[in-house]
Amino acid sequence: MKSCIIPAFTLAAILLTGGSAAIAQSVSQSAPEETPATESAAETDPMQIVRGAKAWNETCSRCHNLRSPSELTDEEWDVSVTHMRVRGNLPASDVRDILAFLQASNNQ
Amino acid sequence: MTCAKYRSVALATVALIGLPALAQETQEQSPPDPQTAALLERIEQLEAELADLRGVVLQSTETASKAEAAAQDAVDRIAEVQDQASPAPSYAVSPGMPDTKWHLAGYADVGFVGGDTPGPDSFVSGKFNPALHFQYKDFLLFEGEFEYATTGDGKTESELEYSQIDLVLNDHAVLVVGKYLSPIGQFQERLHPSWINKVQGAPAGFGHDGVQPTSDTGVQLRGSIPAGSTRLTYALAVGNGPRTTSEGGVELMGMGSDDNSNKSVGGRVGFFPMPALEVGGSYLTARVDGIMNPDMPVPSGSGLPLDARFQLWGVDAAYTKGPLAARFEYLKSERGKLFTVTDEEPDGVLLPDLEMEAWYGQLSYRLSGFSDSEIIHRLEPVVRYGEFSISGHPELEEENAQNRLNAGLNYWLAPTIVAKAGLEWRDYTVPGVPDETLIQFQLGYGF
Repeated sequence: MKSCIIPAFTLAAILLTGGSAAIAQSVSQSAPEETPATESAAETDPMQIVRGAKAWNETCSRCHNLRSPSELTDEEWDVSVTHMRVRGNLPASDVRDILAFLQASNNQ
Repeated sequence: MTCAKYRSVALATVALIGLPALAQETQEQSPPDPQTAALLERIEQLEAELADLRGVVLQSTETASKAEAAAQDAVDRIAEVQDQASPAPSYAVSPGMPDTKWHLAGYADVGFVGGDTPGPDSFVSGKFNPALHFQYKDFLLFEGEFEYATTGDGKTESELEYSQIDLVLNDHAVLVVGKYLSPIGQFQERLHPSWINKVQGAPAGFGHDGVQPTSDTGVQLRGSIPAGSTRLTYALAVGNGPRTTSEGGVELMGMGSDDNSNKSVGGRVGFFPMPALEVGGSYLTARVDGIMNPDMPVPSGSGLPLDARFQLWGVDAAYTKGPLAARFEYLKSERGKLFTVTDEEPDGVLLPDLEMEAWYGQLSYRLSGFSDSEIIHRLEPVVRYGEFSISGHPELEEENAQNRLNAGLNYWLAPTIVAKAGLEWRDYTVPGVPDETLIQFQLGYGF
């Protein structure tokens, strides 16, 4: 009955402990990677918006129609894109590019 | 030359040279004419006005300097207070964004179902699924979704579809903890909302009481890994796992607690051979316990299987390019022999091996390039065919095993608002079970 307990809990423990450690590490070290460069996308990397438009078209339309960028505010896009990053297992680089494009295109 | 001539020449020379000078001196000493006098007076007035203006400008410059100094003092003070109150963390991004952001999303649908079915034609209230997302900075997201629906007898059903916290670990990994939609396959996790689903309902076997797990409660590690010019996606999960139902089937939804100490282990790996094509493979394994009758416990050493191995695997593929979307999914599950109590066998019964298998293929095409007509541009024909088979559980098989064909036409009022009209033919595979033909209309809105 419990033959799978040990491997299952081992995996869960690895995920939880490894995850917690990685969280701390990511916050302190790799967090700059998370910077979605929206603050000055056009200034620091003008091509980011172009890449974002391409990734937006390719990635989002895999599951659903493309929402207009003007549907949401900058803050709402920030949250919505994070949600879709998790749901769609999107690469972080694509997520940053898509967010920069949406926030630059929503006229808000 | 004579003296008279010399005198004449000298006088002429003096006259030629001296007369103009004499004339000039005469002019300077004479009073100005009225026009010149007026101009001189005007010049004097302008000089006076200019002097006044110089005075005003000097006063304004002094005032502006004082205001600028005051403003700079205020800016310095604000910066000082901000520094003392909350020094900006290194990972704070998106200047101007608050630490906590949120977004209300979700979807709703309404509709009508009629046709050659055992029940009467009915309007259906459909579902209302509000979803809330709260994000802290850029590394934590809480997301939860409810589903509300009205039953046939007027009661309101509610269910927590998912409630999870997502921790962004790095560019390639997210830790998900809580109740989450099953990562097995594509339909349940990504395609089931009514504004995304091209057909009114789920494919046979991919909804409730099917082979597709709907949710689980546990922990997931998921993300994306670069692989050359493409990437791999992964979702590895450990959860409470499935549970035996009182009808002798297997419940594949997220339970708030586990009924045994065995956890399910599974997930999905996806791959993109080309940008428009995604293929994936899914697997889940767990043990399920039989339901025991506390009044009549099974004696130990009886040799009856009090738990059984449950395994599920599947493959999926999706090709989406422009107006075309082609999808395919296959799932198969197996559960071993199991002794359990059921509603019909309160003293317990030895259930045989249970196998369930389901697949579907779906093709849709948006007619956006066919005509300049705005109406035709918004149309999208769709066809889906699928099969669901069950062995080892006659009641479940009689109720659910079928071949199902859907044909429909969608009209997109907006990118997230769709009106669907379709026909569904249900060919039940158990002899004696009458087939059904459904006419379905649905209006779905994603927000």
